[in-house]
Amino acid sequence: MDKTELLKLEITALKIRRNILRLIKAGEAGHVGGALSSVEIVTALYFKLLNIDPANPKWPQRDRFVLSAGHKCLVLYAALAERGFFDESVLDTYGALDSPVPGHPNMHKLPGIETNTGALGHGLSIAGGMALGLRLEKSPARVYVLMGDGELAEGSNWEAASAASMHKLDNMLVFIDRNHLQISGKTTDVMSYEPLDERWRSFGWSVRVIDGHDFNAIINNASEIPFEKGKPSLIIADTIKSKGFGFAEGKVNYHYWKSNPEEMEKAEQDLDNIEDQLKEKMERSGDE
Amino acid sequence: MNEMLDPRKTFGEAVIEAAKKNPDIVVLSADSGSGSGLKDFPSLFPGRHFEFGIMEQGIMGYASGLATTGKIPVFAAIAPFVTARPFEMFRNDLGYMNQNVKVVGRCASLTYNQLGATHHSIDDVAIIRTIPGVTIINPGDPVTIKKGVNAMIEHTGPCYMKIGSPKMPVLYPEDIDFRLGKGIILKDGRDVALIGTGTVLSKAFIAARLLEEAGISVRLIDIHTVKPLDRELILSTARDIGRIVTVEEHFITGGLGSTIAELCSQEYPVKMKMIGIGDQYASNGPYEELLGKYGLQPEQIKETVIKFLNTK
Repeated sequence: MDKTELLKLEITALKIRRNILRLIKAGEAGHVGGALSSVEIVTALYFKLLNIDPANPKWPQRDRFVLSAGHKCLVLYAALAERGFFDESVLDTYGALDSPVPGHPNMHKLPGIETNTGALGHGLSIAGGMALGLRLEKSPARVYVLMGDGELAEGSNWEAASAASMHKLDNMLVFIDRNHLQISGKTTDVMSYEPLDERWRSFGWSVRVIDGHDFNAIINNASEIPFEKGKPSLIIADTIKSKGFGFAEGKVNYHYWKSNPEEMEKAEQDLDNIEDQLKEKMERSGDE
Repeated sequence: MNEMLDPRKTFGEAVIEAAKKNPDIVVLSADSGSGSGLKDFPSLFPGRHFEFGIMEQGIMGYASGLATTGKIPVFAAIAPFVTARPFEMFRNDLGYMNQNVKVVGRCASLTYNQLGATHHSIDDVAIIRTIPGVTIINPGDPVTIKKGVNAMIEHTGPCYMKIGSPKMPVLYPEDIDFRLGKGIILKDGRDVALIGTGTVLSKAFIAARLLEEAGISVRLIDIHTVKPLDRELILSTARDIGRIVTVEEHFITGGLGSTIAELCSQEYPVKMKMIGIGDQYASNGPYEELLGKYGLQPEQIKETVIKFLNTK
């Protein structure tokens, strides 16, 4: 990926973070921590990796994206709006009665949403079924999944993981947004699934560990699936919870953020700073 | 004497027949295919049978995902393990997502008679009918099992069908008009309506005859589709007859009687008696004796109806 393309993705990621803030402005509260930690992954998916058509969201040959950790939906809404699946004014309805952007995604309310998730431990098996069905149809489409690390304690995930490897679903790629935190504290203190990579390998998956905020790492690795023929692929993406909102980064109490005016202002300031840095970068790259 | 047929074998044959005509049908197994009459499916339809082992929660999700690609997954296993155990997956992945998946609970109700309360399924109708959009089919004879399979395949949307295990008598001719959501009047009468469903429909059938012999005129109705309920038939019966007795191999809580009472109490209140299992874990033992323990044998149904008609 050249510098210009990288810069474009970074600008898009900033827009998506701004959209997340816009949602919070409307609804006053939401699961920001895990939405912000997965911005780069979701940006890479919607603006580089997924073969999709916003004008034709049910196109049978489309790649599927399953947000297993449904509470991260702010990042999904933010990305879908930016990608043109619906008008971004929809984001301003967050929190209102009958809003099409509920606290967990609802496929019947908006185009581009593939699954009704929210209850944890459902997405991986649904995605496995999609991968199986697409293979039966001899479709080249792929299934991408985003899971949280706290979510891994749900036993149903491990049923799904076993079945995906048993049925050799090498047309699917799972990202685990390993931000190391869940509501009650560090994932390793609450219910540790480490070493994650070894655990998934023992379930028959091909595993890579990357920096989940590094676009090059995300895209270069995701472009190489299947990592091993006949095996489902997994990327463990190390991330920082609430990435981008400096006051909240890596802090457990921003898993669900009840906003207040001071923190809203800080968040806007942080995003403005990122914008300034990106502008500088653009100018520098223009000079080169 | 009516011919006796194996419900699971009948079910499996019907799925195989349907799969010959419809290439989208795929079968999912939780180590449960052969016990569901589908032993021959994998060899007849290679590539359309998926074994998952004993992981019913995960299979619900896999079925949902398969359905998003246009497949019609049929998932048959022991009834409590496709209803109570993965209830949230049924609700979210099939119901809430409105996926075209056909879930079949076999050895349902008390028909795993010796295996005790963990393997009985006398709460399945109660819990599954809380899920909006799910069609619940509870056929009472082998002919309607076959018809029910075809109807649920033709219907687009999530379905739950329950079938028993011991051989059951044929009650209907092959050309019976079977439509989802439409009850069948097996016999008309005027003194009392006896409404049955599923495995004990045949018991209600005999009870109706015994009542006729005792001089009581019975309208016998088969509600093979518990949801959506045939409102029209139930309400016209309430108006015409005014006394309803329901018969089911299920908890009284939340079952057929309960759903009929929910309707009648609001639209046309009538006297009702519900025959089923009370608020207790069912016991174990020979199947017919177990039914007798809960008042579900024809002679007992007859006595209950007579007593009911004699109360003011």
